Amino acid sequence: MTVTSYFLPDSVPEALGLLETHGSSLLVMAGGTVAMPLINEGISLPGVVMGLRRAGLDRIERVGAELRIGATVTLTRLLDQDTVPMLRQAAGRTASWSIRNMGTVGGNLFTPPPGGDVAVALLALDARVTLTGPRGDRTVPLSEFWTGFMTSDLRPDELLTSITVPIEPGATTFVKFGRKHANTPAVVTVAVHLAVQGGTVTGARIALGAAGPHPMRAPGAEAAITGSALEPEAVGEAAAAAARECQAFTDGVASEWYRRRMVGVFVLRALTELAQPAGPAIGGGA
Amino acid sequence: MNVSGTARLNAPREQVFRAICDPRVLMEIIPGCDAIEQVSPTEYRGVITLRLPGVVGAYRTDVRLVDAVAPERSGMEGRLEGSMGSIAGRADFVLGDAPGSASGTVIDYTGSGVIQGPLARLDSRFAERLAESLISQGLRALNLRLAREAAQSPSPGGLRPTTEVSE
Repeated sequence: MTVTSYFLPDSVPEALGLLETHGSSLLVMAGGTVAMPLINEGISLPGVVMGLRRAGLDRIERVGAELRIGATVTLTRLLDQDTVPMLRQAAGRTASWSIRNMGTVGGNLFTPPPGGDVAVALLALDARVTLTGPRGDRTVPLSEFWTGFMTSDLRPDELLTSITVPIEPGATTFVKFGRKHANTPAVVTVAVHLAVQGGTVTGARIALGAAGPHPMRAPGAEAAITGSALEPEAVGEAAAAAARECQAFTDGVASEWYRRRMVGVFVLRALTELAQPAGPAIGGGA
Repeated sequence: MNVSGTARLNAPREQVFRAICDPRVLMEIIPGCDAIEQVSPTEYRGVITLRLPGVVGAYRTDVRLVDAVAPERSGMEGRLEGSMGSIAGRADFVLGDAPGSASGTVIDYTGSGVIQGPLARLDSRFAERLAESLISQGLRALNLRLAREAAQSPSPGGLRPTTEVSE
């Protein structure tokens, strides 16, 4: 079977109507950087495809103390914003210019590991996703969105329409380790957001990419540095905890054995960077 | 493609075994299961819709219980067939009493399958991770279902048998 119809709805209600009409046979596509290679290779054979790029989901705006990002905002556009520096860092380390020009923030959440670097940053930033269906919107914390490898809480009659990022004071860093410097899938990606008061870490969010079936937090590592002043012992303990609790896997990029060790190495590097007096500025998230 | 794993379920073995053989339970716990019917005491037929990023497709599914010894172990031979190709294989599971628990069960499972058609172009490790993810989702859903059954029926073995399983 080849694609017989391609729809470009002009609004979310129109897109939801098409989803209802065509049901599970409809392939929903934003930038197409995940779907098109699968279609071209003959792995995905959808009869009907819906593109979302005209559905009005391409706005990025600051609303109070939050940054609201439409699902079809491209990764390139994240490079142009200064509101959340870590998102600019993450977008800059994702794929190539041509992919970033087409790939979207919403689509990045559906990119299977070892892809999905921006999703790792969004998880460390405590983002929420808005899922829109026939009964209206519902909001899900990103930490509860993924249910497994390539599977999520999105219902068959829903679309992911936006991602909301709280703009909080804190120290952040984003580290990606791949086989090449640029345009490379991750061996591991680490994104960190720390709340710091008087030199003491009062809250930590450490997100790992390419270290499990989906981007995931490292709660043991977070607990190890909360209450510390990022002393080397606490940082070492956090790195060891992250290596233990990640769900590393083997693929064409790296083995499970190597990935697990690199999780420890790069959590250590990320936290050590934040511990430096001249490291990323506290308050840099706002 | 090969998958294996272990999971702990908070229900006695008898209850777990009955649940796994109950089409109504299977329909509820198998991710994307749209329909399932029992065509003989040991055979099931259904439709599973995979809705993954970049991939959509419905698969006709035939599964047969083989070498079943209630409530200890069973094999399942089956075939999934859709426009993207087919997967034929066998899975085996063994139920054991969970250590340190009066009513818990440990399920050990292994499975292997042969992928044919366009699906076979996927990296086998990719397909294995997908299969493992769907199995763990199914087992989580089974555990929730068993907990709900236990809450609704305080008597032991709250899930009533709906099917006889023979070897």
